[in-house]
Amino acid sequence: MLEPGSEETRVRDIATVRVDQIGGTIAALSDVVRTFGHIERRHMEIVADVFNLTVAEIRGIVSFYSDLRTEPTGKRHIRICQAEACQSVGGRELTAATASRLGIGLGETAADGSVSLEAVYCLGLCTSGPSATVDGRAVPFATVEALTE
Amino acid sequence: MRNGDVDFGTPAVPAEAGAEVSLTVDGHSVTVPEGTSIMRAAAQIGIPVPKLCATDSLQAFGSCRLCLVEIEGRRGLHASCTEPVTEGMAVQTQNDHIADIRRGVMELYISDHPLDCLTCSANGDCELQDMAGAVGLREVRYEDGSNHLDAGADASNPYFSFDPSKCIVCSRCVRACDEVQGTFALTIDGRGFGASVKTGADDFFSSECVSCGACVQACPTATLMEKSVIDHGVPDRVVRTTCAYCGVGCSFKAELKGDQVVRMTPDKDGFANHGHSCVKGRFAWGYANHRERMLEPMIRDRTDAPWRAVSWDEAIAYAAQRLKTIQAEHGADSIGGITSSRCTNEEVWVVMKMIRAAFGTNNVDTCARVCHSPTGYGLKQTFGTSAGTQNFDSVAHADLMMVIGANPTEGHPVFASQMKRRLRQGAKLIVADPRRIALVRSPHVEAEHHLPLLPGTNVPLMNAFAHVVVTEDLVDHDFVRERCDLASFEEWVAFAAREENSPEHVAEEIGVPAGDIRAAARLYANAGNAAIYYGLGVTEHSQGSTMVMAMANLAMATGNIGRPGVGVNPLRGQNNVQGACDMGSFPHELSGNRPIGDEALRGQFENAWGVEIGEEPGFRIPNMLNAACAGEFKAMFIQGEDLAQSDPNTQHVEEALASMECVIVQDLFLNETAKFAHVFLPGTSFLEKDGTFTNAERRINRVRPVMAPKIGMEEWKVAQALANALGYPMQYGSASEIMDEIASLTPTFANVSFDLLDRVGSVQWPCTDDAPTGTPIMHRETFVRGKGMFVLTDYQPTEERANRKFPLLLTTGRILTQYNVGAQTRRTDNIDWLDEDVLEIHPADAELRGVREGDWVAVTSRMGEISLRATVTERVVPGVVYTTFHHPDTGTNVVTTDLSDWATNCPEYKVTAVEVRPANHRSSWQETFGVRLAEQTGLLPQT
Amino acid sequence: MSVAKVPRETLAIALGADELASELAQAGHEVVRTGSCGLCWAEPMIDIDGIAYGPVTDLADLEAARLGPVDTLPDLARQERRVFDRCGRADPFDYDPAWLCSQLERDPVEMIGEIEASGLRGRGGAGFPAHIKWRTVHDTPADQKYVIVNADEGDSGTFADRLIMEGDPFRLIEGMLLAGRAVGADKGIVYLRSEYPLAAEIFARAIASARNMGLLEAFDMELFVGAGAYICGEETSLLESLEGKRGEIRAKPPVPAIAGLFGKPTLVHNVITLCAVPDILESGGANYAALGVGASTGTMTFQLAGNVKKGALIELPFGVSLRALIEDWGGGTRSGRPVGAVQVGGPLGAYLKDEQLDTPMTYEALAAIGAGVGHGGIVVFDETVDLVLQAHYAFAFCAHESCGKCTPCRIGAVRGKETVEAFMASAQGDDELAIIRDLCDVMEQASLCQMGGMTPIPVRSALGLK
Ligand SMILES: Cc1cc2nc3c(=O)[nH]c(=O)nc-3n(C[C@H](O)[C@H](O)[C@H](O)COP(=O)(O)O)c2cc1C
Ligand code: SF4
Ligand code: FES
Repeated sequence: MLEPGSEETRVRDIATVRVDQIGGTIAALSDVVRTFGHIERRHMEIVADVFNLTVAEIRGIVSFYSDLRTEPTGKRHIRICQAEACQSVGGRELTAATASRLGIGLGETAADGSVSLEAVYCLGLCTSGPSATVDGRAVPFATVEALTE
Repeated sequence: MRNGDVDFGTPAVPAEAGAEVSLTVDGHSVTVPEGTSIMRAAAQIGIPVPKLCATDSLQAFGSCRLCLVEIEGRRGLHASCTEPVTEGMAVQTQNDHIADIRRGVMELYISDHPLDCLTCSANGDCELQDMAGAVGLREVRYEDGSNHLDAGADASNPYFSFDPSKCIVCSRCVRACDEVQGTFALTIDGRGFGASVKTGADDFFSSECVSCGACVQACPTATLMEKSVIDHGVPDRVVRTTCAYCGVGCSFKAELKGDQVVRMTPDKDGFANHGHSCVKGRFAWGYANHRERMLEPMIRDRTDAPWRAVSWDEAIAYAAQRLKTIQAEHGADSIGGITSSRCTNEEVWVVMKMIRAAFGTNNVDTCARVCHSPTGYGLKQTFGTSAGTQNFDSVAHADLMMVIGANPTEGHPVFASQMKRRLRQGAKLIVADPRRIALVRSPHVEAEHHLPLLPGTNVPLMNAFAHVVVTEDLVDHDFVRERCDLASFEEWVAFAAREENSPEHVAEEIGVPAGDIRAAARLYANAGNAAIYYGLGVTEHSQGSTMVMAMANLAMATGNIGRPGVGVNPLRGQNNVQGACDMGSFPHELSGNRPIGDEALRGQFENAWGVEIGEEPGFRIPNMLNAACAGEFKAMFIQGEDLAQSDPNTQHVEEALASMECVIVQDLFLNETAKFAHVFLPGTSFLEKDGTFTNAERRINRVRPVMAPKIGMEEWKVAQALANALGYPMQYGSASEIMDEIASLTPTFANVSFDLLDRVGSVQWPCTDDAPTGTPIMHRETFVRGKGMFVLTDYQPTEERANRKFPLLLTTGRILTQYNVGAQTRRTDNIDWLDEDVLEIHPADAELRGVREGDWVAVTSRMGEISLRATVTERVVPGVVYTTFHHPDTGTNVVTTDLSDWATNCPEYKVTAVEVRPANHRSSWQETFGVRLAEQTGLLPQT
Repeated sequence: MSVAKVPRETLAIALGADELASELAQAGHEVVRTGSCGLCWAEPMIDIDGIAYGPVTDLADLEAARLGPVDTLPDLARQERRVFDRCGRADPFDYDPAWLCSQLERDPVEMIGEIEASGLRGRGGAGFPAHIKWRTVHDTPADQKYVIVNADEGDSGTFADRLIMEGDPFRLIEGMLLAGRAVGADKGIVYLRSEYPLAAEIFARAIASARNMGLLEAFDMELFVGAGAYICGEETSLLESLEGKRGEIRAKPPVPAIAGLFGKPTLVHNVITLCAVPDILESGGANYAALGVGASTGTMTFQLAGNVKKGALIELPFGVSLRALIEDWGGGTRSGRPVGAVQVGGPLGAYLKDEQLDTPMTYEALAAIGAGVGHGGIVVFDETVDLVLQAHYAFAFCAHESCGKCTPCRIGAVRGKETVEAFMASAQGDDELAIIRDLCDVMEQASLCQMGGMTPIPVRSALGLK
């Protein structure tokens, strides 16, 4: 018996819309990330039930796709491109400098949850690297200052 | 060597599928069906291509990359498992280049694998080890890289351990769980080097895994490994035999090291199971060695006296003496006996014969009485044979399955996997069951219709189906015209068309909306190939036989008989229900379900056996019990069955047993019935038996002795000895001789012999001149009885109805890990899954009664009361409660009634009106049970 | 009133195009949001009454950014814009479907004939002749067929798919509808990577608009946004992903054209491949085939990226040399240092050295030097490039993105990365190089797909192994 507005109801609703869609599981799980920031075991159980799949299958899917994160990001979420075009214009150095400025490595979140740093492999801004995103906003010609201020 | 011992790498392509293709492999030509992989073609001519991710029980996957070969005229290397053959192809499986690449791949594998072959539990039984040898790997040049060697093992499953440090991520386990078992409990987690096998939970035991063991069997390394192998070592010899649990009758390879069974591996050559099994068959065989196993005969004068362990001679002489005395005083028919559907055909035959010939009475019945007797009756009336119409494999051709009163994923799991495979291919499903069984909706399976009918309303449901078929003209007129008895058909049409049988009329009574019934009936009738599968939810009713005939009528009217993918198929409960019935252990029938009243037939038996056989049918089990209470029936030989736990209305059964002067029990354990016994004769487990079981599809499977009988002799020799002691000479030298006699006296078993079975594996009776190796599908051209007979199926509601005092209907059943009264499964680690019976109750009914999850509740019927724990679930509909009967201390049958099928007396286990209320103590029967248990245990000989 | 065209494109917006647009509107211009014309170095590049300016940082000082009349801008005019002819010139939603509708009456077999005549090859990387796939899908009987657009554009140095989906989504819709007509499919799906949110937004709007125009009655389409997996650009992985599963590679055969999505015949093409179709069907296959060199017919959308002064998308017939692209079009390195290496065709492409830069950009010429066109991405490094580090990265990227199904890639990539590390740490390195050489052979020969199979290409070229 579901309470309207409960988290379970929301996940169920998110998943239910996607049931008959192509790639529905992935779309639903992406929506869960969009709504709740990350995916928890209980979300997986609900999505599994809605799609009539096992929790194991959902787990397998979640763990395959980088976007389907199971941990929350920091309040400020920085992704720095690690791919070749950005490397050619200082991407590695930018990453190192940003990491040391923030005191966290790639794939880490600051202990206070204020900021997290993540690798991304190409943002399609390869003429204007090094590229990054901050909270989803694209940052071409990125600098440590632009990312951390 | 049998096929089952060779791994061809990829599944066989059905020969019917298409053309033949010829190619050469390393210069040798081979011709195979189109669609066959290069790997399989090579294996067929004895060229093994190295492989790790391929195995012929699974679809080709192409991940290990060891099986690369060269193909003339094509660039690069090709995976021989995923590459189909083409006409004229020239394949090279070996050269220096290929060898280099394979060695390089193997070097990578071993760079992330512990180097402890010599101490590994799989040493000598490891495909990785074999392949490393085959590709000639000498050294691993990668040093100190990242690895998975520290991944901790998961030993949560009682039977197998999972050690991911040894995993090569071939996905065979994941694929076996998906493709073979259909549970999808495993996945690859992560990707790239991080990819690893996981369940959906933290460990196997708490996951969706049903412990069928398919993953363990599929694993090429020691990652998934039976704990028994870890404990005892790799087996060195194999005996092929048949599982003794359910009616699927899986074939197994019992693998031994010396005399020790190390593991049971389902046999790929088994026609019923094709290399698959369930948690019971594969793992729950340890009861055979359980410390509570009784190995010595015991006798006592009174049931409150201590047991005395005695020699076989003394026990037999004592039993014979008491039986003779009773007969002398009360007449020949004051004694009788029942045969067990757990025993082999040969053992049943000897007991049956002992009763008829040595006891000199027709008071013989079988425990199939309480499960599938209506099947025998109903299918005989309509089709002419007391057996299901199809082989299991037939389901692969079904477009629609209608499952009624059966819970295959729990009760017949290996067949359920076959059903689920077909469902995943798109076949449709109708489930008629008061409970939301797993087939209604569970991962990758969803029934088109669930008809949650109230217990006891099967017949009106089927009549409503008939109504729809008749009034909407969904009848297969050609089939009916050619194959059926037209007069009976016309009558049936008139009957079915009556308004009282319309879905609208019965909807309320059965609790299913008329629209759903109509839709389901149309789906069934229009499906193409529609197959009915049913279980005890059909037979264990006061109208069980009526219902069987109603289904048979429906199948005939829609032309769903006589070809693959259709039929009326009982899912038999116990391993040898079919066989026990075939053996003539019914009071009114001789073997092959032929009436005892037939003089010529009796003459044949009298000639063969040298005794006279009475023409009057004897007592059925309930009659025996009633007569015992009335003081007219005094002694009973009970072969491998626990009447006191499994038969309905326990208090009545107990009274009957207590009234008798001599109760002889033959069993593995001191069961509930044995507490009322005077003579206890130990029996043998299936691992010690030589003989045959007949499964639900009429398949006669060989049971071969895996170890010497722990009781010092074969079990049938006990009845033979008793018969001799009673003065009737019986001199079989072997089980095979018994089968020869069965075959000579039973048309359905004609031509069957151990020789034939050992030669062809197994056969489905009958073996005729046209079909010398058996008949997978019955009634192909004509019905066995000639024309198919429609029988009118008037609905007579059971007397057992919900009322103010008992407003709920209790229905009973079983679960996957346990088996019937639990005598065996409770004595294995399967107990980890269910250590008590619980009552399922719908949230609405629970709330009304103030019952919460896990509460103790009392269940009261007009027969008695028991207490057990409740679980609140929507699996049952409001108004219905459900429990199992696996634990003797629950006493589920204390509350069931002695109502039974009008035709066969099969008890109405499935409908009992009850009330449920919170309780804080055990019921008085349960208290008594505890006291008696303590008393009787105290009476056992001290060892 | 003057008309100001301002790109609504990810890079331009990140560099202030939205702000420019509102300022221009406030200043009384009629603002039209277009796509980007691909001169990324000039973004935000705006066009006021036919005069191009870029990069525009300050409207007050517009003249400083003046590039000249758009129509004669050499960086555009010298291109052969077949795919991108409309992109960046108008509001993409200002679309007239008349031509498309007329084409949808054509005979499928005849259409496939034009594709064959054009010599069109797949632009997603493999360069496989398009007509073979079309004919296979067409000829395979089935109750359902699909056209799938691979817009997973994960290669570093590429952005053509993004530019066209943001700037001229109807070009792709045309390509899909025409392909659907030709092969007999009635359902199309675009698999777009999640790193391209604006493309997703614009393309979704274009689908809705096409639906409103009644274009999607005989052929419906939908957009699917991925969830972060490079490997899902490989077509079978992509199919698995569209089936809602882990994107593990499927073994071929069967090829998708025979058994693709849900086992049905499926035409899978890269965005740019399909976007070339309208031009081919309009101007004729022979006309298209007249461009280019040999079996490399038509135009390629080269993407100049990395350490290059004028990063841009340049559409030219096959045959132009790398050096011309980098120097004439790209203006040399951004850093001003000499070119050190050029990686062509994404992370699975070869690192080419100066002496190889005169190679004409054709499938054949590049293959001859162990390289490939890929998706047309050209990433320029200056002389400071550390090629050992790049070899390390090639393995690391493979390790990061490997689906994990096959052993050579799953374990090999990690061992490769570790062995390059050992090589860097060791004085001599001969042993390590020998191991890497063998490993490259194993990965190349034994991997299930080209992720593992082509990783040796950047590795070998970077390390100078043959
Ligand atoms: C690892 C890997 C990644 C790929 N990524 C893409 C991609 O992002 N976009 C694409 O169009 N093709 C990609 N491909 C190629 C596709 O597998 C496939 O060849 C292509 O979609 C076919 O379309 P086309 O014939 O139009 O080129 C990739 C291939 C591999 C092996
Ligand atoms: S080469 Fe890599 S990405 Fe391709 S199948 Fe193998 S593991 Fe997966
Ligand atoms: S390589 Fe960094 S954005 Fe493309």
